[in-house]
Amino acid sequence: MSATSPTYDLDPLFRPRTVAVIGASDNPGKLGYHVMKSLIQGGFGGEILPVNARAERVMGLAAYPSVEACPSRIDLGIVVVPAAAVPAVLEQCIRKKAGGLVLISAGFKEIDDPAGARQQEALQAMAVVNGIPVIGPNTFGMINLHHRLNASFTPEFSLAGKGGIALVSQSGGMSHLLAFLAMNAGIGFSKIIGLGNRLNLDFAEILPYLAGDPDTRVIALYIEGLDEPRPLLEAAESVRGKKPVLVYKTGAASTGDQASMSHTGSLAGRHEIYSGAFHQAGMLTVDGSEAMLDLAKALNVCSLPGGNRIAILTGQAGPGMAAADACEALGLEIARFGSATQSEVDRLLPPLAMRTNPVDMGPAWYDSGAIQGIMRAVLEDEGVDGIILLMMYASANREVVPVLSGLLKEWRQRKPLVSCLVSPAGIWDEAVRELEEGRALANYPTPERAAEAMAGLCRYACLSNTEWRAL
Amino acid sequence: MNLITEALERGENTLSEHASKQLLAAYGIPVSREVEVRRPEDLAGAFDEVGFPLVLKACGARFTHKTERGLVRVDLRTREEALRAFEEIWPEAEQAAGSVLVQEMVGGRRELVAGLTRDPQFGPCVMFGLGGIFTEILRDVVFRVAPVRERDALDMLSEIKGRRILEAVRGMPPADRDQLVRILIALGRIGLEHPHVKEIDVNPLILDAERPVAVDALVVLEG
Repeated sequence: MSATSPTYDLDPLFRPRTVAVIGASDNPGKLGYHVMKSLIQGGFGGEILPVNARAERVMGLAAYPSVEACPSRIDLGIVVVPAAAVPAVLEQCIRKKAGGLVLISAGFKEIDDPAGARQQEALQAMAVVNGIPVIGPNTFGMINLHHRLNASFTPEFSLAGKGGIALVSQSGGMSHLLAFLAMNAGIGFSKIIGLGNRLNLDFAEILPYLAGDPDTRVIALYIEGLDEPRPLLEAAESVRGKKPVLVYKTGAASTGDQASMSHTGSLAGRHEIYSGAFHQAGMLTVDGSEAMLDLAKALNVCSLPGGNRIAILTGQAGPGMAAADACEALGLEIARFGSATQSEVDRLLPPLAMRTNPVDMGPAWYDSGAIQGIMRAVLEDEGVDGIILLMMYASANREVVPVLSGLLKEWRQRKPLVSCLVSPAGIWDEAVRELEEGRALANYPTPERAAEAMAGLCRYACLSNTEWRAL
Repeated sequence: MNLITEALERGENTLSEHASKQLLAAYGIPVSREVEVRRPEDLAGAFDEVGFPLVLKACGARFTHKTERGLVRVDLRTREEALRAFEEIWPEAEQAAGSVLVQEMVGGRRELVAGLTRDPQFGPCVMFGLGGIFTEILRDVVFRVAPVRERDALDMLSEIKGRRILEAVRGMPPADRDQLVRILIALGRIGLEHPHVKEIDVNPLILDAERPVAVDALVVLEG
């Protein structure tokens, strides 16, 4: 959509009180069945209006033969009818003054037959002229977890936790992948939005809405290609410093113009230009699914570092070394402790292990007072911008995490703290989840990923600074 | 800019190195000091003006990839050496209705690259990175969409993997970042103000102590 496209009120779409499912069905062989299941099992609190020309009831709810026959106003219409029937449904929804649509139906611009693209253009004109916002077509749908709204054909999206990350994706498959990965890692979402063919809601239209959405703290975009990149860049620039915007862009394989006469032309691949443009607009680029979720989680939980001087506190030497190596490779600095901090560490730790940064707290496993003292000294050191805390479970240090959690909760990210607290399933999981939910830390399964997350926080701290000063 | 329209009228799709540098210099980009020699009898005066050591290069719209074609002679320290080099280059230059550039030998071992490309979606985009032979080997370059703001240009300097090349290394002073920033901003302006400029290569952009100097340049045109 161009920059001149109207701004839509997206609240009825994302926070509806009434939802009509056009094409609702009791037949599991139809998407209309799965959409109904998503709404009902997801625990939607508003009114559900199944629309089906031939059934009186769908999944036990009173059904209506047409959009116009619905007794109440429609805030959100979810459309799951065959492509050929979509224009008529859109017209009815416009006459009914529906607040917005999720158009799941496929068979438009994405198909080989050019008739699909033509039909989409006709729908687009109709939607734009009448000012009705439409997600899709050719999408799995949209989920607003804080509103218990699962407007998708995958009921299991409702199992994702409620959180601060909004995922906006051009690909249904990648949305499913990222959501399932997040579920396994205990990461929650505010919204999951499949843009599909982007009839009149593209990244540039969704971004400002999410920027003002109180449930969303971090915006994560999965992009394959953009017809018009400039509106997104402008939208991102206007969000700069307010909320982090992460971008995972695929389709990087195409290289520059090999026939170009200049080096500049032959080096100018899509990936290089896209990532340059994204950075320019204040967006953070990531290069993988896991990296996207890891960084989104850190940004959701952690405060931002004032610099890149990192302290590494570890229960065992090895993981601390791995974290230190990763930090250095990522351009982070291993902080040099102030003299007060160092003498406190020296006082609390016997001279058996590394006492400068990284600090090996192994000898203090049994001394919770010592561990707390070290933590406190390092947290208060002005020469430290961020902390990576690592602890591998051993039978003898089982109590360390519960002992630290009081202090961590009290600190609650006065400086960014990421961790790698790892135990066999069922030992520290609950305590770690509680710490994450309390925004005391963001935990990662490896030292390297914890370091990457810290580096991402530093990158964002730099990018987000609107009153940016020269280095 | 007359340089551009004239070249297009002649049916050329590049500016010669000398004309390319005139365009860059008009936008405040520092270029190597040079004298264009169109007749052998002007050579002696050019030697005096530029001084030794110097560089000789064939110059003309057709002379891209000059080094590969043996049309660049560097670090010529005496009049005799320079005359011999000129005699080797001149026939080809003359035949192509070109010229020979007598150029100062810019000292400095740190080679950077800057450039401009026109993207079908983003429009003119400015590039910065490691120059010389490393441009193709390491591909350590970053892009920004024009117009390039000061902040964007500074980000480019710190975004390349080889960013330490701009710091004080091995007895060499830190690069003049302000000047580099001005160069990147200027390239973006050229792209926005001259729709017929399709691409620009400034390679190498050599750090002469702290000062960046465009030692070679190529402007590709599109009618």
